Amino acid sequence: MKFRSRVTAVALLTAAAITLTACSGSGAQPASSDGSAGTGGTLTIGAFVDVKSFDPAQAHIGHYVQYYQPVYDSLLRREPDGTLVPMLATAWEYNSDNTELTLTLRDDVTFTDGTTLDAEAVKVNLDRFRTGNGPDASTLAQVSDVAATDATTVVITLKAQDPALLDYLGNADGFIASPAAIEGGKLATDPVGSGPYTLDKSKTVAASTYTFVKNPDYWDPSLQVYDTIVLKPILDTTAMSNAIISGQINAALLTAKTQPQAKGAGLTEYNYPTDWQGLLFFDRDGTMVPELADVKVRQAINYAIDKETLLAQVGKGLGTATSQPFGKGTDAFDESLESAYPYDVEKAKALLSEAGVGEFSITMPTVSGFFDPALTAGIGQNLADVGITVNWENVAGSDFISSLVQGKYAASWFSLFQGSPWVAVNQIIAPEATYNPFHTTDAKVDTLITAIQTGSADEQKTAAQEINKYIVEQAWFAPFYRPDQIFFTDKNTTTEPQLQQAVPSIYSYAPAQ
Amino acid sequence: MVSFIVRRLISGVVVLFVVSSLTFFMLYFSATSVARNILGESATQAQVHLKEIELGLDQPLFSRYFDWLGGALSGNFGVSWFNSQPVVESIVGRLPTTLSIVLVTIVIAAVLATLFGVAAAVRRGWVDRLLQIVSIGASAIPQFVVAIVLVTVFAIGLQLLPATGYVPLTDNVGGWLASITLPIIALAIGAVASTAQQVRSAVITVLSRDYVRTLRSRGLAPREILFRHVLRGAAPAGLTVLSLQFIGMLGGVVVLEQIFALPGLGFLALQSTTQGDMPVLMGVVVYIVIIVVVVNLLVDLAVGWLNPKARVS
Amino acid sequence: MTETLAETPQPEAAVRTGVFRRLLKNPLGLTALIILGIVVLTGIFGPVIAPFDPNKADLVNALAGPGTDGHLLGTDSAGRDVFSRLLVGAQSTLLAAALAAVVALLIGLPTGLLAGYFGGKFDSVASWCTNVLMSLPAIIILLAASAALGRSVWISMTVFGVLMSPGMFRLTRTSVQAVRNELYVDAARVAGLSTASIIGKHILFVVRAPLIIQTSIVCGIAIAIQAALEFLGLGDPLTPTWGVMLNEGFINIYGSPILAVWPGLAISLTVGSFVVLGNALRDALEDAPKFKRTKPIQLTPPRTESVQAVDLAAADHLLSVSRLGVGYPQQGGATKVVVADVSFHVDRGEVLGIVGESGSGKSQTAFSILGLLPDEAEILGGSISFDGIPLVSAGGNRLSQGRLSELRGKRIAYIPQEPMSNLDPNFTIGYQLVRPLTRVLGLSKAEATARALELLTIVGITNPQRTFDAYPHEVSGGMAQRVLIAGAVSCNPDLLIADEPTTALDVTVQAEVLDLLRDLQARFNMGVVLVTHNFGVVADLCDRVVVMQNGRVVESGDVRTILRAPREQYTRTLLGAMLEGKTPMSTLTVTEPAPVFDAPVKVGL
Repeated sequence: MKFRSRVTAVALLTAAAITLTACSGSGAQPASSDGSAGTGGTLTIGAFVDVKSFDPAQAHIGHYVQYYQPVYDSLLRREPDGTLVPMLATAWEYNSDNTELTLTLRDDVTFTDGTTLDAEAVKVNLDRFRTGNGPDASTLAQVSDVAATDATTVVITLKAQDPALLDYLGNADGFIASPAAIEGGKLATDPVGSGPYTLDKSKTVAASTYTFVKNPDYWDPSLQVYDTIVLKPILDTTAMSNAIISGQINAALLTAKTQPQAKGAGLTEYNYPTDWQGLLFFDRDGTMVPELADVKVRQAINYAIDKETLLAQVGKGLGTATSQPFGKGTDAFDESLESAYPYDVEKAKALLSEAGVGEFSITMPTVSGFFDPALTAGIGQNLADVGITVNWENVAGSDFISSLVQGKYAASWFSLFQGSPWVAVNQIIAPEATYNPFHTTDAKVDTLITAIQTGSADEQKTAAQEINKYIVEQAWFAPFYRPDQIFFTDKNTTTEPQLQQAVPSIYSYAPAQ
Repeated sequence: MVSFIVRRLISGVVVLFVVSSLTFFMLYFSATSVARNILGESATQAQVHLKEIELGLDQPLFSRYFDWLGGALSGNFGVSWFNSQPVVESIVGRLPTTLSIVLVTIVIAAVLATLFGVAAAVRRGWVDRLLQIVSIGASAIPQFVVAIVLVTVFAIGLQLLPATGYVPLTDNVGGWLASITLPIIALAIGAVASTAQQVRSAVITVLSRDYVRTLRSRGLAPREILFRHVLRGAAPAGLTVLSLQFIGMLGGVVVLEQIFALPGLGFLALQSTTQGDMPVLMGVVVYIVIIVVVVNLLVDLAVGWLNPKARVS
Repeated sequence: MTETLAETPQPEAAVRTGVFRRLLKNPLGLTALIILGIVVLTGIFGPVIAPFDPNKADLVNALAGPGTDGHLLGTDSAGRDVFSRLLVGAQSTLLAAALAAVVALLIGLPTGLLAGYFGGKFDSVASWCTNVLMSLPAIIILLAASAALGRSVWISMTVFGVLMSPGMFRLTRTSVQAVRNELYVDAARVAGLSTASIIGKHILFVVRAPLIIQTSIVCGIAIAIQAALEFLGLGDPLTPTWGVMLNEGFINIYGSPILAVWPGLAISLTVGSFVVLGNALRDALEDAPKFKRTKPIQLTPPRTESVQAVDLAAADHLLSVSRLGVGYPQQGGATKVVVADVSFHVDRGEVLGIVGESGSGKSQTAFSILGLLPDEAEILGGSISFDGIPLVSAGGNRLSQGRLSELRGKRIAYIPQEPMSNLDPNFTIGYQLVRPLTRVLGLSKAEATARALELLTIVGITNPQRTFDAYPHEVSGGMAQRVLIAGAVSCNPDLLIADEPTTALDVTVQAEVLDLLRDLQARFNMGVVLVTHNFGVVADLCDRVVVMQNGRVVESGDVRTILRAPREQYTRTLLGAMLEGKTPMSTLTVTEPAPVFDAPVKVGL
């Protein structure tokens, strides 16, 4: 009987290992306080990415902004709801045809190395940003010249209108570093800006802990709620969830799968959409998959996808099913398009037979760790149900985006950031858009794009709504849903989600009352 | 002695050269589109192309290889393509984390494995059976399962130890110890179990040697025979196993550093692999091979020192 | 009277059936075999017997509990049937593991055979490559390989197989080297067999068992590595291995922890079974009986009247052994008796010879007196008393090891057979002489050193200081035996037990050592038990003699009487052998050296 007890022991051990993991949700204690009640104290944020470079010319939006915001002021500041308010620039004004932007700067700001922030410094930074080949350099592609006309005035001249320029200047593009430090060449690891905090190198371990301490001479103490801000890059979602539940960090972005555990631990939850997820039909001209050239086929696929179920099972119900690629809160959003393509297998089959296509197959990429297995299986099954076979190809995460952008696939599932209409146009719709690798377009779309770029505010809005309606009808994409960002703070911390940004801005955090 | 060391070092350099060259060529032919990954999803193709030229990706294989080799020979492994940190700096910055975990685990494994292994070999009976069962269990349950259970119980459930992160030894000794305790336990369970098995069989082998019987016939106390003669005889085998364990752990920390969000060498390896950060990955491979070569040399020297036969020749 | 005990050796068949039978008798090994059998059958027939299409997703019914709608183990996060996926997953998991093992074998076996058989340059190059491969951390290499070659379970398992090949190489090489110069290979070579058929017929046969063990271990590690790679996100989600399933379980660990249980169990059970099987196989091989087909001996009184039972009352004997029985318990409750009903005595200043062939139980008798029988041995009966102290009492009680070690060295000393293996190679000869002197006699270190040097002189070593400082491997066999003799007599023992003290030595040295023994015996007036197979030695040295065969005393008495008028046929045969100058025929089957295996080294994951 010896053998039985041994085998049982092994089995029990394995089972115990897994049950213990399972029980953890209920056993978790509320996160502990770290003395951050009231003002002052330390705020520790778990970041989903590690900073690539503290050089603002290499700055990037989304998760990355929280690394730059403590040390750099930006030209404009975006309030949580997206409203632009003064920061380094006290005023900004376009000329009549929106091709020249004049910024008026504060005259009382010094960098933490003691040098003065002036128009020349801003020019240096903007020029570096657009020529430095950073991740977001293309956002300033329309800028033809930056001029410092006097110590506090900067004039930005554009080749063509750019409706998103002001937003950009309130985001990654607007961070201003000390020109002296730029000359020094060590900005990538030793940031020198004029921001509310400075990076304390002695308490910083690259890739693990970035400690920012209050800048004593800062011009706007209202932005210095905490004495210290610590950013901890934690790239694994489970580790992130463990960290906030065990009280190691005060705030963190989690995922639908880790949400219940954090909620159960009594943490404060914030939900806000920033992305949409669904299928992108790149090959709308039918170069690789001729069937996709037919709008009926693309519509059929839209009907064939069971969006609500995917949202419920893959997104754990945290989000909103939709059929349009433009986000709520943007000018292009149209409530009536939300359910333009309800799940309807019969209709899908009818459309396919109308289009006269038999069974066909599409090759799409999948990435271990990025594609939820349920998602891949669900899409595959939904399409198989209407006679379309998906051949999945396993792609390394590092090759995924470039394989899309280089047009290696006729279609793919993706999760895309939802910016302003102009941002979205340049992302997925315009002939030269990043995610339009086959450069497909049609006359109507071209006209509407021009209207968005050059029209008055009202014209822009109308054109944005029209383009949205048109590409939904034409089924350029098959959106599934807008997943919620699932952000948590512990009970001693509050924050406010930032419109069109993956994580809240640093300025939005405060101790709970 | 000196010539032995010199010969081993030369062999180590050859190993280093072969392994790093192979890795370089393998990575060269991989299709990872690194420029796109550096710039992110919103960059244009033109930007990506520019970045590729910036990184020298348009250069032919051998020109890149000799550039790298030239740099490496002068101790310059270049700069990370992703976070612009010098490779040497980021590796050296992460070594303390990994070495803290691995070295402490090795010490623990050495001590506990000797205790258990000797106990099992000498006492046999239930101690031996227990060791067998634990060893089988430890080798059957994947390390990451153990780690996840540990986090769940001790960090999240009992909140005794931190779930993530690393505190440098120089900052705070207590914090350092707390930050590496769970990873060490996860790593040590398997290491102790399998090392103890090896120690056990080595001790049993030595115990059955004729000279042990002869020593007993001389009236020496069993304790003295065990600790002085048997352990000394079993030590080379034990050391060799520990060195293999050490090498295994350098790989094992990859998983643990991921689970515990530790900024170590393993995590750097994983990250540079997933990103395609070739300079960093090459640097990590070179450093790990150097560590391994040095450890093996030290073990060989120790074995030689323990074994008079090898010492003379 | 004498039975011909020699039997034609059939080691191959005997070992094979024996190992397998022993494996089946080992409950752990049997369980592991059964589990692996089930897993392999699942791997073969899984796709056929799976109740559902393992890839058929049904999101509406995702994460259903076990038993819902005919889903035995429920559904996963995509609504696929977990049980079917487990069945089908067994196939890809096992195939991937087998791929690693096959690659390791394909590389390790041929290179190991060539390196072991031919040696030379090929051997050094191959061994160097092996060392390189062994010094690479597997996971790091797999990371680099996945960056370079892509993410497929087949690619990573091929690379892993290469990384595991050194284990196969080393085992093969070591085994081949061990048998290469064995007689039967030489015989085969002389018989004109080609190299290929020698390798095929003889050498492959020898390495087969250790390779099976290593293969089992590699398969286990390979499955664990697959799971680890999946966990790191470097796997191939499109091949439904258990690792893929486990990874999916971890994604949903908070919502549906049970999803991780099934693949976790499957992986742990399979990996565990591979490990257990490897261990059980090794145990089965190592337990292979050293003496095959030894005739069981009945514990009956000896039929020869020549043996007189020693009168226990005669306590004035220095040593008396009475009706001693020694046996080794076997699996299944039987006991193999190696010494049965042996009685004799030794007086102070007397030399008793115990003569017999190897395996006759004479050494076991000697070890019984010293209390140095192996742990597995059992005293079955009888008594031993030394100078009135009961070492083994008639009730079967043995004197405690503590009390025994007070006697050993000080009053009872021992000279072993093989000089080189009886000195600890890690300590100087001086240390090994001095230490007992200080521990047993309580001498100071300086006194002990002086005494040791004196002893070395006494045993006829010309440069005692040099020998004192030397390590055992630095002296010759004869000199080592002198050292052992010096050690044995160093504490002025009353009884000296010499187990074939001259067998391992050259003929000329033999005579010198015998002279030395005689001389020392006289000088210290010791009682001596001289165990030997050689009547010549007996004639030279002994006063009385005991002849043993198959664990029993055949005949005993005064040396002269027995030499002149042996009563037993067996004694005559032995004597005849001596007179013809031959070693006595061996009644024992050739025993193969028990293969020594490297225990599995678990590669860190």
